[in-house]
Amino acid sequence: MSVASPNPALALQSKRWNGLRHLLEREGPFCKGDFSPSPDNLEFLQTKCKVLVIGAGGLGCELLKDLALVGFGDLHVIDMDTIELSNLNRQFLFRRSDIGASKAECAARFINGRVPTCRVTPHFKRIQDFDETFYSQFHLIVCGLDSIVARRWINGMLLSMLRYEDGSIDVSSIVPMIDGGTEGFKGNARVILPGFTACIECTLDLFPPQVNYPLCTIANTPRLPEHCIEYVKLIQWDKESPFNSVPLDGDDPQHIGWIYERSLERASEFNITGITYRLVQGVIKHIIPAVASTNAVIAAACALEVFKLATSCYDSMANYLNFNDLDGIYTYTYEAEKSETCLACSNTPQLLPIEDPNTTTLEDVIKLLCESAKYQLKSPALTTVTKEGKQKTLYLGTVKSIEQATRKNLTQSLGELGLEDGQQLTVTDITSPTAITLQLKYQANEVEMI
Amino acid sequence: MIRLFSLKQQMKEGEQKGSGGQQKKASAAQLRIQKDISELNLPKTCVTEFPDADDLLNFKLIISPDEGFYKDGRFVFNFRVGSNYPHEPPKVKCATLVYHPNIDLEGNVCLNILREDWNPVLTINSIVYGLQFLFLEPNPEDPLNKEAADVLQSNRRQFEYNVKKAMRGGYVGETYFECCMPK
Amino acid sequence: MSSPAPKLWGEHGQMLLESANICLANVTAVGCETAKGLVLPGIGGFTVADGSTVKEEDLGNNFFLDASYIGKSKALACMQLLQELNPDVNGDYVDESVDYILANRSNFFDNFDLVIASNLNEQTLISLSNRLWESNVPLLYCRSLGMLGTIRLQIKEHCIVEAHPDNRQFDLRLEHPFETLREHLESTEVTSKVPWLLVLYKYLKVWQKQQDGDQKAPKNYKEKLALKELIEKEMKADEENHEEAIKAVNTAFGAGRVSSDLKAIFNDDACEQLNKKSNPFWIMAKALKHFVTEENNGYVPLPGVLPDMTANTESYIALQHVYRQQALHDADQVYHKCQDYLKQLSLPVDSIDERSVRLLCREAAGLAVIRGTRIADEYEKSCRLQPLVEDNELQGTLTAYNFALRAYERFLCECGNIPGECTVEQDIGRLKSIASKMLNDLGMHATISNDVLHEICRFGGAELHAVSAFIGGCAAQEVIKIITKQYKPIDNTFIYNAVTTESVTLKL
Repeated sequence: MSVASPNPALALQSKRWNGLRHLLEREGPFCKGDFSPSPDNLEFLQTKCKVLVIGAGGLGCELLKDLALVGFGDLHVIDMDTIELSNLNRQFLFRRSDIGASKAECAARFINGRVPTCRVTPHFKRIQDFDETFYSQFHLIVCGLDSIVARRWINGMLLSMLRYEDGSIDVSSIVPMIDGGTEGFKGNARVILPGFTACIECTLDLFPPQVNYPLCTIANTPRLPEHCIEYVKLIQWDKESPFNSVPLDGDDPQHIGWIYERSLERASEFNITGITYRLVQGVIKHIIPAVASTNAVIAAACALEVFKLATSCYDSMANYLNFNDLDGIYTYTYEAEKSETCLACSNTPQLLPIEDPNTTTLEDVIKLLCESAKYQLKSPALTTVTKEGKQKTLYLGTVKSIEQATRKNLTQSLGELGLEDGQQLTVTDITSPTAITLQLKYQANEVEMI
Repeated sequence: MIRLFSLKQQMKEGEQKGSGGQQKKASAAQLRIQKDISELNLPKTCVTEFPDADDLLNFKLIISPDEGFYKDGRFVFNFRVGSNYPHEPPKVKCATLVYHPNIDLEGNVCLNILREDWNPVLTINSIVYGLQFLFLEPNPEDPLNKEAADVLQSNRRQFEYNVKKAMRGGYVGETYFECCMPK
Repeated sequence: MSSPAPKLWGEHGQMLLESANICLANVTAVGCETAKGLVLPGIGGFTVADGSTVKEEDLGNNFFLDASYIGKSKALACMQLLQELNPDVNGDYVDESVDYILANRSNFFDNFDLVIASNLNEQTLISLSNRLWESNVPLLYCRSLGMLGTIRLQIKEHCIVEAHPDNRQFDLRLEHPFETLREHLESTEVTSKVPWLLVLYKYLKVWQKQQDGDQKAPKNYKEKLALKELIEKEMKADEENHEEAIKAVNTAFGAGRVSSDLKAIFNDDACEQLNKKSNPFWIMAKALKHFVTEENNGYVPLPGVLPDMTANTESYIALQHVYRQQALHDADQVYHKCQDYLKQLSLPVDSIDERSVRLLCREAAGLAVIRGTRIADEYEKSCRLQPLVEDNELQGTLTAYNFALRAYERFLCECGNIPGECTVEQDIGRLKSIASKMLNDLGMHATISNDVLHEICRFGGAELHAVSAFIGGCAAQEVIKIITKQYKPIDNTFIYNAVTTESVTLKL
């Protein structure tokens, strides 16, 4: 980026903040109990508070603008996508000449140019390219994503960053997540305090399921144009293996063209009308129609929550906003409940003290889990994730082929299995509705340290 | 709302306390599939096979029906569980060529809970039972292999004969079926 | 412009949008954010009117101003930075204030399809409201102050053909089958492969015979249950269409009648008395009324849209064909009546095309007309505000904020400064006496709490960008609804409080 770093001292004095300062430097009857009006608030936003925006698409562009203009001075943005022609009608930081360039970089350049008090650092990367040393540098994370997988990944990351002291969460390890989503004229915004309030996994059923038509309808009794398109996509593509058997790529116009032609043929065979190129594209790419105005509303609602959390000026929304403007304008805020059996956020890691990892075998650990009054498990399955991020099954007794493959681990010591102090084991068992996370605590290690 | 913390008191830059959460953590899909797998309660006609014990996301299910049209056959299904499990169902294909009204010759399976009726409360166990049921009660009303469905509907004995022929290895119509009877 | 959102408002809606011309009166963050939401999807043109120049303090919350314009025309700056979003949109500007324009060339506003104004003082708002009401130009007035925002729509008459209801009831006419449907239903054998509609019809006939009177369809729970049991009794295992028929019992009947909204349209003077200047909507509405009352036994034209139903392809497509043909036939009748009216009025017969009539017929059950009210009337004693504040109910409601913001606007006129701009304490008192007098003049005995007035003064006139972006996004969509004549706009005042993330819509 060629834009010079903003001069914070100058920015703080700037008359541009006259209005914002009223809100941050005055008391008010509706302010949060611990709000302390002071010039420090603006200084914090401008110089200290770091916010990560995930996604530089329709919501992301709005979020960057909104945050820059409510006083945030240090923003980061991640997006692995490049700009396409069809983005320009709502992703307002991009121009025709930007097509093909990185969304994150273009968005950052634009904001940095327009709002000199804000410095946006772009990351033209996937969210999975970063680990927790990256994510833990932020005070707040805002998501403007259209992917459930990505949301779940970030949710898992923020939960894994929680630190515990005597079984309760060390609040300084919490990075709040503000998440927005839109679909046509509908949208939602939510505030997640990992470990404290409902997380993405707690409320997975709030995401609308993908539309899947019955396979037999698609194959034998199609009635809708969508049935014909799905047939070509699911059955004919594999059968006829066009384009040298490459997998179907929804962004390849040749592929879409092929599907369009075949779908037309199939539809006319069954006297079905209504196949259009746009419909084919929509079905193949699962395109959710997006409108600029809904993105603007939802991003603004998210930005306001970021602002409230960062300045403490007002209480956060608790915790889920639904919006739609199909018929008039309608909003509804309610508290999504944390699930007590959520596999992601209800299993606080529990310390498992180990006298000596070189003499304690896996079998000993399993025995302990079954016999101890605390756990009383029946037939626990144990897995871990290695330092390299690889999933490893330590023992699983209920499936014959896995039992055979992992039986040899039983007699090995934890040291021999490569398990280190502090490593986490995931334990599942029929007696427990959730997974249990055990964190190994080697006593010998402590002795050495003394 | 709980008065949790003040962000302003948080130092962020360069702060890395203790061994923190440096450990890698299993993804939500991994947690869930481990739970599903460790709680599998298979009917005696079904076994699973995990080619890689560390990879719980890809495995085979082998069904060997002990009654019905498909008695004594052995049918292999490949399960692929994606990173969006259980929001999305696993992808299941039949690896054994089978003469069956609800399974086509490419191995696609017509089972409602694999598509339109999937929901995150269902488990791998639910799918296993669904597949097992398909062999006990093939359903000609929802055909994927239309020829097989038509025969089942019009002439059950002919259908039974075709199934046996296919399972022993042989032609039904123009399609050659490999033997899938181990004994 | 690159693929806007035709899926949501169609190519015909997009064409209306691309030929619309709007005015942005007064440059504020909320105004610019509204304009942004219209420039992006490709509005035809926009004109910015503002008499001031760009100052440093304007830059903090408005994305469409920057430091290079300091000292220059604010209207120009904002026009140029907005137009940059979409080269296909025409931008124009006048560097004159709303007050100046109203005083010196008030017909300036008459040719716009809609005017967006924001954050005015009371006098300017009332004058603009009156002027636009007289010239029949819709006005969308937005406020953004601190954590508060409002949108007020002033429109004389707004006719909506495509309301796009979220849960549309399918109009199937099973209890009153049209001739071709009856023939089809009675000549088709009911098997496990046919759409549930045929199953339901078969058992509906049985059910009808069991009734004492000549009731056509089950109305209450008990009757519906009886019909469901009839089907269940005869159903073999695994007949999906029978299961679907049982489920459909609850929703399949009763559509196709004239709703109260539609009745109001039929009885509207505009429908009864056509003239040469009549909006095509009213000419079509009258033709529709004629069809419904004189030719179709009180039923609206058949929409001809079927839900998906488990069935084999042939039987589904055949049924679909029956419905589609009848829908075309009904629409044709209405179209011919339209032509008769056009001839009687000596208007060109091609001024209403067949496509529009078909659309109107398909959507007949959901047609809606909004007759709005004038903002200036809210300042009259006899207005509709009173029922809203009965029993002193202003405390703790969002309605209170609407009145507080009006008091704020009067404060601007009477005191010449912004409440809380310099001192909070002193201005709370002044704002309070203005608010009390205002409510009193309107004949209300309610009071606005000190906390609400304190909060207003605390803002000191600050416009917070994120609140403006929220209101601007909402306002832009309302403008699109009005221009495309699709989806129902607010009727007529939307109030949003970002502190509590609450909103409400009032009819003022």
